[in-house]
Amino acid sequence: MKPVLKMTISSEQNSEQIAEKNAGQVAAARPWHSKSILSQPVLTMLGRVLILVGLLLFWQWGSGSILPRFWFSSPLAVFEVLRGWVLDGSLWHHLAATLLAMGIGYIAGGAVGIVSGFLLGLAPYGARVAAPFVTALYSLPKIALAPLFVILFGIGLESKIMLVAVTVFFLLLYNTLDGIKDADPDLAQALEVMGATRGEVIRKVLVPATLPWIFAGLRIAVRYAFTATILGELIASNSGIGFLIDYSAGQFDAAGVFAAIFVLVVVSVFLTEVLTRVEGSAQRWKN
Amino acid sequence: MSDSKIELHGASKYFIAHGQQIAALQPVSLAVGEQDFVALVGPSGCGKSTVLNLMAGLLQPSSGHITYDGRQISGANRAVGYMTQKDTLLPWRTVADNIGIALELRARYVSRKECDTRVAQMISLVGLSGFERHYPGELSGGMRKRVALARSLIYEPETLLMDEPFGALDAQLKLVLHDELLRLTRQRKMTVVFVTHDLGEAIALADRVVVFSGRPGRVKVVKDIPLGRERDVFRIRFTETYCRLHEILWEELKDEVRKGTQA
Repeated sequence: MKPVLKMTISSEQNSEQIAEKNAGQVAAARPWHSKSILSQPVLTMLGRVLILVGLLLFWQWGSGSILPRFWFSSPLAVFEVLRGWVLDGSLWHHLAATLLAMGIGYIAGGAVGIVSGFLLGLAPYGARVAAPFVTALYSLPKIALAPLFVILFGIGLESKIMLVAVTVFFLLLYNTLDGIKDADPDLAQALEVMGATRGEVIRKVLVPATLPWIFAGLRIAVRYAFTATILGELIASNSGIGFLIDYSAGQFDAAGVFAAIFVLVVVSVFLTEVLTRVEGSAQRWKN
Repeated sequence: MSDSKIELHGASKYFIAHGQQIAALQPVSLAVGEQDFVALVGPSGCGKSTVLNLMAGLLQPSSGHITYDGRQISGANRAVGYMTQKDTLLPWRTVADNIGIALELRARYVSRKECDTRVAQMISLVGLSGFERHYPGELSGGMRKRVALARSLIYEPETLLMDEPFGALDAQLKLVLHDELLRLTRQRKMTVVFVTHDLGEAIALADRVVVFSGRPGRVKVVKDIPLGRERDVFRIRFTETYCRLHEILWEELKDEVRKGTQA
């Protein structure tokens, strides 16, 4: 009996879906979602805005009544701090310091990581010899190196750059190596028979086959680089968003801490958005 | 066989798997003459593909030796075009760029313009007009086969090795491509080694059919196909000679196929 029952249900769903298509409706054709006016994108946005406004109002109202103002500050106070930072230019100064340290470390660490990945991937002997050292350094939590880098490079940008570079280096090294391992040797053989030199096989098969892995590595590495920069700044620094958090906390300035965290959220959302777009447009063949 | 293009002298291939030696191909001796069209038929797993891999220089024989133009093959054999069973298209290149890749390679560099013209010709030849900018992942299995065929024909290798090239195609398109293949290979004086499990296809195309026995593979019988070079693949199946040859060769093949299914 059961299969028969199942069949009737599914055929009903099908006819429903067809009817939906015929009616020209764009609502998702998933039978377990009830169709309703809530599927409108405008209403989704409205819901989000309501939650945000509600939370801010609650925070503003609760501040000084149920939440101690000293620890929790208030949205208006945070806004005031942000406005002050914008007006006196300190926001740009600290934001630039963070982004610069992160950017330089990311590019340097990434580039060296990708090149090393290809070198080790193409030289199996070298890779075997280097494997235990690489693994040992990779498994080390990089943040433990931060104090060392402060001793070696000071509390300026250099120590953050190094911390970011080392973090990103290993991510890209491993992703590049995995990409090379994953490349299909049959494709290389096919090109060899067509007369390709070793260089051509590397350029036309190995590099493109590895690119998705490198992109994935670069994408993950942005978050790690960001975290490493902020952690480096929290440990010892004289500028940067991490410095703002640490400094404000040292002054028991809750509004300053919240303001700096808000800046962090904005920056990381922006970075994620940019990455998603870049990756999407670069890999149309992978659908 | 003084003018042989490819010669196998007692060539065999063994693999080691799970600590056991497995024979893929028992010693085989075979000569493919210049401009010959030879079809290899046999049950699956009889080592037909291994023979092609040996001829392409992608595998080294475990015993015996293989010569191409009288010289022993070492490393990838660049004189051949090899259309493998699995299509080895580059997934990140469009149809047009996949077909043109051989022309980009250093050894046979041609101008951008000539490359484009020849790619366009090939695309229309294999019936893929309109799909130039598609990626292999967006095509059906049969269409990918046609791209692979175009890619191996475009640089006009003197010898073509084909491993079940038309297996995934529908019957009508298969006939059209058979016709094109015969026309092109005759016109360009190519030597062809064609692996298939379809006896009819083998007889319709080849000058000579080699029947392999089941695993481990060895040559069971070699039969000349006196159907002439100017044959009409669309009508050949209705001729008396074709039917007689099919009957004779099927007698040889059917035991092997049966053995294969029992194993």
